[in-house]
Amino acid sequence: MAVLVDITKCIGCESCSVACKLYNKLDFKKEPRNVKDGIIDLDDNNWTVIQQRVNKNDDIRFVKKQCMHCKEPACASACFSKAIQKDENTGAVVYYPDLCVGCRYCLVACPFEIAKYQWDEQFPQVAKCQMCDKRVEHGEAPACVSACPTGALTSGNRDELLAKAHKIISSDSRYINHIYGENEVGGGEWLYISDTPFEELGFKTVSDVPVTSYTKSYLSKVPVLASAWALFLAGLAYYNHRCDQNKKSDNDGKE
Amino acid sequence: MSNNLSRRKFLKVVAGSGIAGFGVMVTGCKGESPGGKGWIPDQYQGKGDFPVALKGRVSIAADNPSIERDDEKCILCGQCIEACEKVMGVYGNYPLPLKKEVACVNCGQCSMWCPSGAITEKRNIKDVLAAIEDSSKHVVVQTAPATKVSLGEEFGMEPGSIVGEKIVGALKAAGFDAVFDTCFSADLTIMEEAAEFIHRLTKAQDEIPHLTSCCPGWVKYCEYFYPELMHNLSTCKSPQSMLGAVVKSYYAQKKGINPEDIVSVSIMPCTAKKFEAARPEMEVDGHQDTDFVLTTRELAVLLKYKKVDLTKVEDAQYDSALGESSGAGRIFGASGGVTEAAVRTAYFMATGSNPPDALLEWKPVRGMTAVKEATADIPGVGSVSIAVCSGLKNARDLLDGIKASGHSKWQFIEFMACPGGCIGGGGQPKADASLIADAKLKRIDAIYREDVNAPKRCSHDNAEIKAIYKDFFEKPLSEKAEKYLHTSYTNRHDRLFD
Repeated sequence: MAVLVDITKCIGCESCSVACKLYNKLDFKKEPRNVKDGIIDLDDNNWTVIQQRVNKNDDIRFVKKQCMHCKEPACASACFSKAIQKDENTGAVVYYPDLCVGCRYCLVACPFEIAKYQWDEQFPQVAKCQMCDKRVEHGEAPACVSACPTGALTSGNRDELLAKAHKIISSDSRYINHIYGENEVGGGEWLYISDTPFEELGFKTVSDVPVTSYTKSYLSKVPVLASAWALFLAGLAYYNHRCDQNKKSDNDGKE
Repeated sequence: MSNNLSRRKFLKVVAGSGIAGFGVMVTGCKGESPGGKGWIPDQYQGKGDFPVALKGRVSIAADNPSIERDDEKCILCGQCIEACEKVMGVYGNYPLPLKKEVACVNCGQCSMWCPSGAITEKRNIKDVLAAIEDSSKHVVVQTAPATKVSLGEEFGMEPGSIVGEKIVGALKAAGFDAVFDTCFSADLTIMEEAAEFIHRLTKAQDEIPHLTSCCPGWVKYCEYFYPELMHNLSTCKSPQSMLGAVVKSYYAQKKGINPEDIVSVSIMPCTAKKFEAARPEMEVDGHQDTDFVLTTRELAVLLKYKKVDLTKVEDAQYDSALGESSGAGRIFGASGGVTEAAVRTAYFMATGSNPPDALLEWKPVRGMTAVKEATADIPGVGSVSIAVCSGLKNARDLLDGIKASGHSKWQFIEFMACPGGCIGGGGQPKADASLIADAKLKRIDAIYREDVNAPKRCSHDNAEIKAIYKDFFEKPLSEKAEKYLHTSYTNRHDRLFD
C-alpha cells in the first residue's frame, strides 16, 4: 500500500491528523512537544502533523508529515533487536514494542527524523506512524487517507500511484517535475507531488542511495561473526574447563 | 543457597535471557504493533476512495477571529463541511492550491451544525469580564434584535420568548455601565441607507442594484467572490459599528467621557461580527467602533458565571440617548427586515408621509424562503423591484444568475448570510437545534410581534434618532454622517483566486 500526497489539494483541515489520533488512541490533551517557529513537528503523540508553510509567492501550503515507510528503512536496519520491521505485504514499516530494548538507534538512523520517543513514560516506547498496519492488511486505507475530504491523499498500489503522479505532473505545468519519495533514500511508500519546490516546504534534500547500503556489506556479517565468536569462546571455555578437571582428577589420583 | 547472587549465576541469567530473546526474534514472534486501539467513525471504514455522504471537516485558520475548534471533541462527522459548502457556498467554491488565506466568511454556521460542540466561537467572555471589573473603564453594551428573541432558550424558555427587557436587567445586574439597543442604530442605519438608496436610484444609477451591507458574512463573501459588485454595496456600516461609532463620539461627548475609557461591547447572534469589529475600516478618530463582541451563547455563559438568572431578573429599560427603537429597527433580526424597514423610511423620504398599512405588514419579504421578491410602489420614485435573499449559497445562485443575464431585474437586494437572517445566526443558541426550523419560525414570529408592539413603526419617527440628527449629524449623508456611519470595503478576491 502506498499513498500519494498532492500538496496542492490540501486545505489544512487536519482531518488526517485527527483521524490518526482517534484511530490510534493518541492523547489530544498533551501539548505538542516540538513546535519551532510556530510550525508543529512530530512527537510521540503526533504521528502525523500538518505543517503550514509559505512559498515564495507568499501562498499558503500545508504539508503533511509522517513516516515515509522507506523501501530500505534505515531505522529497521539500525535496530539490532528487530523491533522495527518492514512488512513485505503491506509495505508498512512497523514497530513492535515487545522486541524493543529502548536503545533509540532508530531515532538517530532515520534520515527524515520521524521516529520519536515517549520521554514522559516510565516504560517508554518508540512512537511513529504504522501506516495503520491493521487496516492496511485488510485492504483498507490508512485512517488519515480515508478522512481526507479534498482528495489530497489517495492510497493504492505504489506503481499505479507513481504512474498517476507522473501523469498529473506531465499534464499540469504548475507541478514541479519531482515526486518526493519516489527515489529519496531508495524510495518509500509515501509519495508527494507539489507546485512548490520541496526545499521551500521544509522537505529534507536527501540522497537517492538507501542509507542501509552504506553499512549493509559489513553489518550483515555481524550476526555470523558474533555467533562464531561466541561459539569459539564457548569452545575455549569448555576446553579450559576440561583441562582444569583433568588436572584435578590427575592430582586426586596421585594422592 | 546463598542470598547473594554469584557473578557466575548473574551471567547465566543474562546470557540465558539474551538467547531466549534472540530465539523469539528469529522464530518471528514479535507481539503486537501499537496503534489501532482507538475508533474511527463508520464512514471511514473501507478503502479511502469509497464514496461516502460526508467526510472530513472545514479548515479553520489559527488566526480566525470568529471561530475555533477543539480537536478532542471533533468526531470528523463532516457536518461543518456540509454547512460550509451547501448552505454557505464557501467550501468548494475557490480554486486549489490555496493562495493567501483559508477562505472563511466567519458566519459560524459550522459551529451551529457541529454536533459535538467542537467548533465554537472564539470566546471573548474573559476580556469582557476584565473590562467590567476595571473601574476605570466605562463599559457600554448593545444588544442585537435577534438576541432578544433567542437568549431565553439558553435559560430553558420556549423558542420565540421575547426577553429584550430582561436582557437589559440582566446586563445591568452583570455590571455593565450602560445598555444600548442595536435596534436604535438599526434605525440610524435605515436613515442613512434609505437616503443612500434614494440618492442612488435618482442620481447614481450605476450603483443600482443597491446591495445591503448589514451582514458582515455577506460583505466578506462579496469581497471574496463578487468584488465587481463592491460599489453596489451600501456604504453604511452595520448597526453594530454605527452604535459603536456613536458611543465613542456623540455619547462620549454628551456624557463628557474620554472615548479612550469606553469599552464598547456588543451582544450579537453572529460570529462574523467579531471579524467585523476587528476590521481596520471600523475605526474613527483612532478608536475601534466595537471592542468586544459576544455571541448570544457567550452572553448566556457570562450571565450564568455572574449568577444572573434571566428568568428571575427584573425587567429594565435601555439607557437613553441610544436606547429607543422603532418597529423598523426591531425587525432587522429576520430576513427581509432590513428591506421592510428601509422601504418604510424611503417611502417617507420620497413622499413626506408614512407608508400605507400594506407596507407596515409587508408579507412578501417575510419568512424563511431563500429568495423573496416584492415590488414597492413609492410615489415620486416609482415602482421599486426588490429581492431578499438569505443563505449565502442562495446568494451565489442569485448573483450568478444576474451575472449570466448581464443585468439585475431588482433595484434593491438584501443579503443575509445565515438562512432566515440573524435569528438563525452562527452565534445563536443551539438548545433547539433538533427542532431548528421550528425554533427559527418562532423566533421570526417573535421579531414581528416586537414590531407590532412598538409605539412607533418607522425609523424616522424615533425621537432619539431625530435628536441625534439635530444635535450631531445634521442630516443623513452629511459629512459627519459619512465620517462616522459609512465605511469602505476591501477587495479580497486575489486572496483566493489567481
